[in-house]
Amino acid sequence: MTSSPMLQVQGLCAGYGGLTVIYDVDLSVSPGEMVGIVGPNGAGKSTLLGAIAGSVRATAGSVEFSGTKILGSKPENIVRRGLALVPEGRHIFTDLTVSENLRLGLTARRDQSGKSAALAAMTELFPVLATHSDQRAGLLSGGQQQQLAIARALVAKPDLIMLDEPSLGLSPTVVRDVFSVMAEIRAQGTAIVVVEQRAHLVIGTADRTHVLREGRIRDTLTPAEENDELRLSTAYFGTELLTP
Amino acid sequence: MMQLIVDALSNGGLYGLAALGVGLVFGVMRLVNFAHGELIAGAAYLLVTSLSFGLVPALIISIVGAMLLALLLELGVFSRLRGADPSVLLIASFGVSVLLQRIYETIFGALPLSGQAAAWMSGVWQVGNTQISRGSLVTVVLTLTLLVAMKLTIERTTLGLQLRAASADFQTAQLLGVRSNRVIGAAFALSGLLAAVVGFIVFTQRGQVDPLFGVNITILALVGTVIGGLGSLQGAAVGGMVVGATISVLSNALGNDRTYTYSVLFVLVIVVLLVKPAGLFGQGTIKERV
Repeated sequence: MTSSPMLQVQGLCAGYGGLTVIYDVDLSVSPGEMVGIVGPNGAGKSTLLGAIAGSVRATAGSVEFSGTKILGSKPENIVRRGLALVPEGRHIFTDLTVSENLRLGLTARRDQSGKSAALAAMTELFPVLATHSDQRAGLLSGGQQQQLAIARALVAKPDLIMLDEPSLGLSPTVVRDVFSVMAEIRAQGTAIVVVEQRAHLVIGTADRTHVLREGRIRDTLTPAEENDELRLSTAYFGTELLTP
Repeated sequence: MMQLIVDALSNGGLYGLAALGVGLVFGVMRLVNFAHGELIAGAAYLLVTSLSFGLVPALIISIVGAMLLALLLELGVFSRLRGADPSVLLIASFGVSVLLQRIYETIFGALPLSGQAAAWMSGVWQVGNTQISRGSLVTVVLTLTLLVAMKLTIERTTLGLQLRAASADFQTAQLLGVRSNRVIGAAFALSGLLAAVVGFIVFTQRGQVDPLFGVNITILALVGTVIGGLGSLQGAAVGGMVVGATISVLSNALGNDRTYTYSVLFVLVIVVLLVKPAGLFGQGTIKERV
């Protein structure tokens, strides 16, 4: 870690109604870092991102972003501070056009100048969005919708973007595209937190990857440990798998 | 015949405005606002009590008053129920509706309050060899202008874009930085504006206002939003127009049997919903949110 963390999560507990889904999660992200989160279904990965972004209610702990406590703030205020979430399942406005979806992303921009430059930069990063600009977003393919969801978050120029399963339901080629886009985003200095099913791909790419199971962080792996199957499976499944 | 067409258009436009007012609020917060009728009645009361200042000042007072009343309902009642189940919101709006009716009754009495707004509107224009009532024609022009203005607002402005996004998926809109309270407030204010115009038109037709002034049209506007497809703003407006025009045509076609207008209307509504359960413009199932 080179500089002080931009996002500092401590002892975070969150859930729905009376049900707690994540317990005592600590997480920190420094500017420009990429942090992965993997874990089995129901581990609480989306809940964790939602609690940081303000869309899921946290019951304990603290979340600090760029020196400000943001726990309990509304989602619209958190994204306006530069912390964006691209939720699982993309949540494109299917009845709006592609360009209207992108324009909505500008809502959270702190810097009101350079809006059209930001839109132009997105069409450079995702050429397909330019060619389908006036089409209804619902007509895009799954991979194109994912690109739109990411682009929509990026036009707000966040300091940190959280991606919840960006490769869900996409073909292997498109998954590679999504990962190269993440590399591009990072190269431009934006920090990333990514939740992914493809554990190996994330562990090999991110600065560090936390393994979440049953609401707690069980282990943290770095790219050098990508092939440590024993540690990954122990953290992932809770027991050592018998290897043939 | 000409008069029939103008009547159908004016009644359609009127119910379209009422339905759009209901649909705007439903879209952003899944609230079926029964108290919309009391916004209409409140606007009409303000109009009739301030007519002595002249028609234009009275109209302005009634429009501003209805918008403020709508915002007051949002701040005083509905903003405190954020995250509540839609059924809770529905019951709350019933409560607000009845409360306002009683308040009107206490202040203005249960008997209708009469007044003469825009007397020239009750006259007729001679077009060729047919007569057309001025009121209907003015209503057509007024409602269609307002519907077009609303359409442009919703389709071309940033606020409109945010309203459409919040109507489609409130949580995602919030995640993009759309200020939820501001958008909901704007929806309420616009619904108050539309209610005031509806109140004005209905008042010029009836010449009097009583505490239940807005109930009937609001129920029919709700029917319109359901026919159009809940959650679609354009659907709400068009659904309301269809209901209004149908009422007009039916009551004309049924002649002496016009007491059956609503029976026939609701049979048609049932048929539409059996064939297209999500409404004419709705898609798939209706998701609940906020």
